[in-house]
Amino acid sequence: MSDAVHYTTIRELGASYRKREISPVEVTRALLARIEKLDPALHAFVTPTPDRALADARAAEDALKRGDTRPLLGIPIGHKDIYLTRGIRTTGGSALFADWIPYAESTVVRRWAEAGTIMMGKLITHEFAFGIQLPGHRFPAAKNPWHPDHIPGGSSSGSGAALSAGLVHGATGSDTGGSIRGPAAFCGITGLKPTYGRCSRAGVMTLSWTLDHTGPMARTAEDCAYLLQGMAGHDAADPASSTRPVDDYVAALGGSVRGLRVGVPRNYFFEDADADVVRGFEDALGVLRTLGAEVRDLTIPSIDLSRSFFLILVTEAFAYHEQDLRTRPELYGEMLRERIMTGALVTASEYVQAQRVRMQICADVAEAMKSVDVLATPTAPKPATPFKVACDPELAFPRSNMPPFNLTGQPTLALPCGFAGSGLPVSMQLAGRAFEETTVLRLGHAYQQSTDWHTRRPPV
Amino acid sequence: MLTIDELRARIAAAGVPIPEHRLSMVHKLLGDALAPLRRVDSRKVRPLEPAVTFDAAGPHRGVANE
Repeated sequence: MSDAVHYTTIRELGASYRKREISPVEVTRALLARIEKLDPALHAFVTPTPDRALADARAAEDALKRGDTRPLLGIPIGHKDIYLTRGIRTTGGSALFADWIPYAESTVVRRWAEAGTIMMGKLITHEFAFGIQLPGHRFPAAKNPWHPDHIPGGSSSGSGAALSAGLVHGATGSDTGGSIRGPAAFCGITGLKPTYGRCSRAGVMTLSWTLDHTGPMARTAEDCAYLLQGMAGHDAADPASSTRPVDDYVAALGGSVRGLRVGVPRNYFFEDADADVVRGFEDALGVLRTLGAEVRDLTIPSIDLSRSFFLILVTEAFAYHEQDLRTRPELYGEMLRERIMTGALVTASEYVQAQRVRMQICADVAEAMKSVDVLATPTAPKPATPFKVACDPELAFPRSNMPPFNLTGQPTLALPCGFAGSGLPVSMQLAGRAFEETTVLRLGHAYQQSTDWHTRRPPV
Repeated sequence: MLTIDELRARIAAAGVPIPEHRLSMVHKLLGDALAPLRRVDSRKVRPLEPAVTFDAAGPHRGVANE
C-alpha cells in the first residue's frame, strides 16, 4: 500500500473504498502502524483507541458492502480531548481528569460516529484548552511535525500535529481565541471555526461560554466541508445552538468565486507581522485576484480594541473553574492556574464594558461587511514560535489576529499560504458573514485548487 | 495603566493565591487586556443596549457534563 493513503483527501478515500481499491480495515491498520511509529516522538495522541478503530473499520467495511454511500463512512478521525467520549478516557489535558472515563458523549462525537467515521483516538489538548503544557506536566505537549522545537499551536495541538503528520484524515477542534486556526496555521493544515452556534458544544469542556466554538480540522477546505456537514446542526442540549437550516457545504464548493469581494483590514492585523508572513499573504491575495475576486483594502476602527477579549475569556473561565481552583489548585498546571485566576481580578463592571465593546466591534465589522463578502488577514503575525519562547511567562500571551472573530462569531477558515524562510508554514484566514460557511469554504477551496501549499508534507 | 499596587489590591479583594513570582505575568495579562477598555469613553459605546442579553422565554435547561 502506498504511503499516499495517509494523505488522501476524504473525497478520494471514499471513492477508493467504493471502487474496492482499498478497504477501511487496511487503511486503519496502516494508520495504526504509522501512529505507533511516529507518535512516541510527536505526542499527538493522549489516548489511542486501536480496538475501537478496528471495530469501526469493520463496521464501515460491512456498510460499504451493503452499498452505503455516506461521505464520511470509513474516514479515520481523532477527537480533541475536551470532547467527551463514552467509555473512553477524556482528560481535558488536565491532571484533574487524568483518569476520567465519562459515560456521556458529546453531540459532535456522536454525530461523526453516526456518519460512519473511524475513531483513531483522543488527541492531546493544551490543559483545559487554555494552558501551556510546561515540561513536567501530567501530559507531554504535542510537537510540531515541521520542527519539533517549535509549538504546533494550541489548544487543539494534537489535532494539528496528527493531521500534519498524516495520522488521521479529520479531527475535531475548539476555538475560543484561535485554538482551531492557530494549530492549522502552525502545522500547515486547514481549520474552520464555524459561526458561533453552528456546531454543538454539548459535552465539550467549557472554557468561555460566549467565545467557545467547536469545528473541524483537516488538510483541505474540501475536507473541512465534508466534516462540517457531519457535525453542524441544531442541538437542544447547547443553549447557544442555532436553529437555522444547515447548508450543503460540499455542493457549494463548486461555485465560482468571480466577483467575490474580499476586504483586507489594514489596521491591527499587520502589527508585528513577520516579512515572510506578509509576503505569503500578499501572494495569496494575488492568487485570489487571478481567480476573479475583487480585493480591496479597508479599515475597521474598533478592531483595535480586540485585546479586551481576554477579559471576557478569563472572567468566564474563572467562573467555570473557581470551585476546583480554590479546593484543588495543585491539580492545575503552573501558569494555567494563575492565568485563570486573573479572571477573579476583573471587576463586574469591566466584564460588562468588555461585552459592550465587543458589540461595538461586531457593529463595525458588520458595517464593513456591507461592502465585502469576506475579510482576509494573516492568521498569525508570525510562524510557530519555539517552545522555550512560548513557555516564557513574560511572553505568555502574545497579540493575536484570531480573537476578533471569536468576538464577532463569524465563520473563519485558516489555510496555508506559503512557508517562511525557516521552513515553517504561514497561513491566511478568511472570515465570512455569520452562517455563510459556504462562502469561505468555496473561496478557500478555489485557492487550494490553484496552489499546492496544502499538499506540502513535513519531514516526519 | 494598571499599577502593581492596584493589582495587589485586586488580588487581596478576590482572595486568590497568586504567588509573587507570577505577579509580573498576571500584571501583563490584565494590564494589556484592560488598556483598550480604559481608552474608551464608556458613555460613547454605541451599540444597542443592553449588550449582555437575557431571554425570558428561555431556553433555561442546564447542560451537565455527564
